[in-house]
Amino acid sequence: MTQQASAAHPAPGRRPEMVPDPRAEAARIAAVRRYDILDTPPDGAFDRVAAMAARLFDVPVATVTIVDTDRIWFKAAHGLEGVKEIGRDPGLCGSAILRDDALVIPDTLHDPVAANNPLVAGEMGVRFYAAAPIITPDGHRLGTVNVLDTKPRSITEDDTATLADLAAIVLDEMELRLSALRALRNEQERREVERAAREQVEKDKAAIAAFASTLQRTLLPPALPVVPGLELACHYHTASVHDVGGDFYDVFPVDGSRWAFFLGDVCGKGPEAATVTALARHTLRVAAQIDPDPVTVLRTLNTVLLTDVTAGSRFCTALFGLLAPQEDGGFTVTVATGGHPPAYHVRPDDSGAVWVKAVRPKGGMLIGAFPQASFAHATFLLAPGEGLFLYTDGLTEARTTQGAMLGEDGLTGFLHQRTGPLTATALVEDAVTLLASMPDGAGDDVALLALSVSDPETAPDAGVAATAHTTAAPEHFGQE
Amino acid sequence: MTDVTHTLHLTVQHPRPGLAVATIVGDVDVQTAPTLRSRALEIIQQGHPRLALDLAQVGFCDSSGLSAIIGIWHVAQEAGGSLSLAAVPDRLMRMLSMTGVDSLLPVHATAADVIDSPPASGGSSPRSCTHGGTPRCTGPRGTWSGS
Repeated sequence: MTQQASAAHPAPGRRPEMVPDPRAEAARIAAVRRYDILDTPPDGAFDRVAAMAARLFDVPVATVTIVDTDRIWFKAAHGLEGVKEIGRDPGLCGSAILRDDALVIPDTLHDPVAANNPLVAGEMGVRFYAAAPIITPDGHRLGTVNVLDTKPRSITEDDTATLADLAAIVLDEMELRLSALRALRNEQERREVERAAREQVEKDKAAIAAFASTLQRTLLPPALPVVPGLELACHYHTASVHDVGGDFYDVFPVDGSRWAFFLGDVCGKGPEAATVTALARHTLRVAAQIDPDPVTVLRTLNTVLLTDVTAGSRFCTALFGLLAPQEDGGFTVTVATGGHPPAYHVRPDDSGAVWVKAVRPKGGMLIGAFPQASFAHATFLLAPGEGLFLYTDGLTEARTTQGAMLGEDGLTGFLHQRTGPLTATALVEDAVTLLASMPDGAGDDVALLALSVSDPETAPDAGVAATAHTTAAPEHFGQE
Repeated sequence: MTDVTHTLHLTVQHPRPGLAVATIVGDVDVQTAPTLRSRALEIIQQGHPRLALDLAQVGFCDSSGLSAIIGIWHVAQEAGGSLSLAAVPDRLMRMLSMTGVDSLLPVHATAADVIDSPPASGGSSPRSCTHGGTPRCTGPRGTWSGS
């Protein structure tokens, strides 16, 4: 066809051929991408629109196309088997996409642009073409709904309106699809965020566990030193592996010849108690360096706990002792108490049993609870062959098979009837065996500390071999 | 294992102007001690700093209970009042005596003994806690009403 013919038979509503505005085209392509529909598998909803268009217009071919940068992709193609996409040649779809209203070409051979389109000039020989653009709410034309015939024909304005309606239905379908996609993506993102959060929690847990384990080790009672002429033994048990106990003890030198020891119990459990445990331990050590007098040391601890941020709500009981070596190999022991259960002074008695004396200075009060608290002390001689046994109430509150607490009387009886050697190691080992024999074991935290003066008569090499023993603590923390 | 109930009931009576007696029913342990503490502090803050706790119906009281009692004692002292205990369970009594807390806190055999004890003992124990603030007869609201 010639240009003249085209001028003589202009297509209804046909405007001069337009070149896409590059900016508008870029925005249009962005909109196409947003709907994420290109190259998706066939979809019943779009196929039905194409089939309906073919039936309504009584044409052999109807398509739903989306126009990409350089191709026209068929989302649905009724009567065009096997065609997935075609080039963006002007004339038909490529031109329809450039206008807001429907493009109707009753006879393509009379349209100079369409006449050169491969679908017209080629094997298919399209003679009639009508298309309505699929326009998004924000004005972008994504593609078109097209009807094609191999015979020229004319359509009414109502038909054109129907075609526009079909294009609108396609858009609705795409919107639905997009919102479903978005919901799916949000869900996936949410799951991804959750999964990442869970992973983070696991990581944090591991980090916190590692940190807690490190902290726990710093809060554990230290290994006992070697004190010449003295045997030391201890036992430390926490009711829960996760709990840092509120029990504490230590033995350390205060000057060239004297040694100090303490054992205590913070009221309460968990991290808060642990901070008091740490504060108490360090305060006792430092206070003893300034003035090792046991009552003075406990008074200092009382003041420190009362000036701490947790003042008035965290208390402890403790025994603090000072050991001064004597020429006969024994030690003068001064013990002060701050509301703690008594220590037991033991020695073999004449009948082969054990002489047991509770060291219970009268009037020692809870530490950290009252500014006016008073502390009491007692001084005695720990002679060669004798021992001193300190404990926290986890031992005396452990329940026997009869269901009653062991109590001080029970502990005194146990110590009195012991037949083993009165060495620190044997005392602690026997007490641990006693605890293990209780039906529930030790329900609470337990700390035990024993001191014994080597007896030159029964252990001739004792002067050389002072030993320190730490019992059982590693079984609770060693695995971390 | 000990069967421990995790609820604590507290009822308050005012047998005499200026004295509140709180009857506690239940076990005082790490779970319930905060309730004891907060309810007792409420009573003190409502203008009744002379408080007695009747523990006759407390089956069990551990060191958490002791901590709560010491906390209440502090607040009562600061409010110019006092705290006393009646019918103290054995284990708590052992703790009070071991820790010397019984030297600051009057302990009575029964709640009736608290009511009969002279109000003049005011802000501290009969043995008088000389460091613990002078007993005063005015509460936060100026005067004590028997309510």
